[in-house]
Amino acid sequence: MLEIINQVFSIQLKSNKDNLTLFNRNIDRINHEFEALGFHIINPIGQTYRNEMTDVEANITGDFNEQMKIVKVLKPIVYQKRNDENTLVQKGIIIVE
Amino acid sequence: MKTINIAIDLGTTNSLIANYNSGAVKIYNNPLGLKQTLPSCVAFRGNRTIIGDKALDYLEKDAENVCMLFKRKMGTQETYFIPSIDKEVSPIELSSLILKELKNFVSDGDQLNAAVITIPASFDTIQSNATKKAGYLAGFKEVVLLQEPIAACLAFANQSNLDIESSKHWIVYDFGGGTFDVALVEVNDRELKVIDNEGDNFLGGADFDNLIVEQIIVPQIEAKANITNLWKDIKSKASKYKGLYFELLKKAEEAKKELSVYPETEIELDIDINDFNLYNQIVITRSQFEAVIAPKVEQTITFIKKVISQNQLINSQIERLILIGGSTYVPLIKQRIKEETGILVDSSIDPTSAVVDGAAYFAGSKPTSIVVEETIEEEEVSTVDTQIFYEQNTRDLEELITCKVEGAAINYRITRNDGGYDSGIKTVLNNGFSEFVPLLKGQLNRFKIQVLDKDLNALKTINTVAINQGSYNVLGQPLPIDICMEIDDIDASTTRLEQIFRKGSILPLKKKIYKTASKSILKGSESNLIINIVEGLSKGLPSSGLSIGYIEFSGKDLEDDLIKGTDIEIELEITESRDLKINVYLQSCDQEFKNVFSESERAISISKINMEINAVLSDVEHLITEQVEDENFEYSSKLEQLRVGLIEIQIETTLLDEDDVSDQKYQLDDKKRKLIQTFDTLTRNKVIALEIEEYNNSKEGLEWQVNKEENEKYRPKYLKVIANEKEVINSGDKYLIRAKIKELDVLHNAIVQSSDENFIGYFFGIRYNSEFTDTKKAQKLIKQGDDALERQDYKSLKHVVYALFALLPDREKDKQKQFKDDSKTGLR
Repeated sequence: MLEIINQVFSIQLKSNKDNLTLFNRNIDRINHEFEALGFHIINPIGQTYRNEMTDVEANITGDFNEQMKIVKVLKPIVYQKRNDENTLVQKGIIIVE
Repeated sequence: MKTINIAIDLGTTNSLIANYNSGAVKIYNNPLGLKQTLPSCVAFRGNRTIIGDKALDYLEKDAENVCMLFKRKMGTQETYFIPSIDKEVSPIELSSLILKELKNFVSDGDQLNAAVITIPASFDTIQSNATKKAGYLAGFKEVVLLQEPIAACLAFANQSNLDIESSKHWIVYDFGGGTFDVALVEVNDRELKVIDNEGDNFLGGADFDNLIVEQIIVPQIEAKANITNLWKDIKSKASKYKGLYFELLKKAEEAKKELSVYPETEIELDIDINDFNLYNQIVITRSQFEAVIAPKVEQTITFIKKVISQNQLINSQIERLILIGGSTYVPLIKQRIKEETGILVDSSIDPTSAVVDGAAYFAGSKPTSIVVEETIEEEEVSTVDTQIFYEQNTRDLEELITCKVEGAAINYRITRNDGGYDSGIKTVLNNGFSEFVPLLKGQLNRFKIQVLDKDLNALKTINTVAINQGSYNVLGQPLPIDICMEIDDIDASTTRLEQIFRKGSILPLKKKIYKTASKSILKGSESNLIINIVEGLSKGLPSSGLSIGYIEFSGKDLEDDLIKGTDIEIELEITESRDLKINVYLQSCDQEFKNVFSESERAISISKINMEINAVLSDVEHLITEQVEDENFEYSSKLEQLRVGLIEIQIETTLLDEDDVSDQKYQLDDKKRKLIQTFDTLTRNKVIALEIEEYNNSKEGLEWQVNKEENEKYRPKYLKVIANEKEVINSGDKYLIRAKIKELDVLHNAIVQSSDENFIGYFFGIRYNSEFTDTKKAQKLIKQGDDALERQDYKSLKHVVYALFALLPDREKDKQKQFKDDSKTGLR
């Protein structure tokens, strides 16, 4: 399932990049199904990076400081609800600058 | 006799912890981040100590405050000076931090007092003692050491159930992420012994990733982007290609994993080089990959040959070579060793966990000398008092947790239970601490706060902190009642309400729901689709709620036919000022209706009021007769009042024209709703009681089946179905209960149908049925069934039963027919 989520995420990134709005509805629909299955998918792009975030694998370029931003997301963060409790099931893979 | 059971692989680059419990080994996962492995890495950031994955973050940036590979320095006088804390730290202290962190992985079981810790075969006495000391420092009272190659052999021997009669030689080839070791082991019926070992502390799988980037990916990018010197540039600190090195390294690592399984893989590049966007696929074949790593692999083979020859052995005297360490997934390694040495290469055990696995078997057989005192020691002697302050409900994505501490606490640590946040170990300053913690949107975020002493032992653990994100805000206003949508209930040939927003949710609200068209509407036809948004109890009848938005699409509005079964996407939004907005998208027509309720105008049709009253009236009348028969006069007189009220409204409506402009129809609608609400309350408990009774019957039947010995295998499924029965029954929602009954019935059928003999019961159940559509055919089948029964041919009987069922009238179709088109919403 995670591989499917990653592929859909990647399709989404590519279509956003080329301003393709054509598939938005379908992607929304697929994401809705993921949510219904208990998956909570997060794209942390643009967020300030904190080392305390244990839900991402960060590749940090440049100097370490307080204003580091997540500039690229290669894989999204995925949580899954099991017995009403969230559990991390995939770490996001990100580039931080 | 109590055994040690706990085993730790304290590795150079990665560490693991496992537990032996009655024959099985369980390797624990890191609660923060999915993996079994904990990188053996510690970072110091002023008053914060970080262990494991997140410490690696600082490795490139702040190397002097990060300690890694300290295992190589165990037993030496060398210490690490850490500028950020202005202190010297010894390898023993660092190892003990790793061990303590591993102890956190163990969530079940007793307190950990004893452990088996693995060491490399090359460790001398001083190094071994240093490892023991680290164990004691981490709070273990008993530490037993075990050599890693021995542990790997144990894992292998336990897994393959080998009988070893005479003395044999094995080689353990351990190729990890950053180090390489090869050990010669002597095995006989009594013991395992490491005779010799060789290795390279600076050779590992990470070298492979670098080689892929340097020799395969970079040249291709250079060719395509027409640049030179890229490999040097991406690695330099002042690089203009920020982040590219890490991105490529990540892709190389994935490619490496893929190439261990497939003969070729593809890397997708989407990068900016000198303002030029390079989007490209690079195909890497296994042979390309192998050509690049071949020199490294050959290097390891030289070590194998060396360890054999310096012990005056020849290759044929080595019975097998066991592969462990993550890098041995690469097929070339196995292939080259086989070609070069002719030794049997065994890759049957999991290369990453073999050492800890074998060590756990050892720990499971090793008695512990620690006597557990009878008096139960209080686990956490609360020498500290804490007071915690935080906002329980918030709309922010970060919230402040503040804690006042009194007592001997020195350190603290906050983690989020879902594994997404770890503050690291931090120092308590001025009798307290404050921490901004990140929250998951729209979720209940639970936290664990540990107050620790100077040796990082927990003095107090607080598990009660939970922060709800997005559900409440002092400034927001909650919804006073459920907002629902009317949809078709095909089973009952009527419509019902489905909750969209729950009472108490905070405005503004927005939600997208997906429904299915329950009927086809041809373009241009009169048939219509109804979207009725109702404010009212989701458990009640649709006509008992207040319709706050009502819209009909008829065939005339459509650009194309709306086909039954296709998706209808409905997006609902309620603003803070309670404006209702709705967008509807019909998949089969590819048509979108935007913002169809922007004006809040109540559309009430007299015919609809009448229709709704008629539906309820017939129910009321039916109930009255029933109650009178049961001499339940009090109840029936209440119903009689209702009946009169409803008829009065009906009479009044007949006096009104459909296009009446006065507010009289609103008044009537209001009256109608109140009466139907009363009816709802009067009957709901009864309906629910009936559903619960049916549920219990179904459950009883199923339980009887599951209790049969041959059906034992269905028990876990059964337990799963009934796991939340309390919630369902207490919900008071008949649709939920009915769904549960269906689940029970499905399982019941599955069990019954798993054995042909069970069809005897079905056969007797159906043979006296009088509703067959084709009685002649049915008689013939019943005759066949009787014969089969006599022959005890239950397989044939099964087919007869299926055939007889097919002759019964189709109730689903009947229901569909009864459900008149104009009373349907068209949504399911």
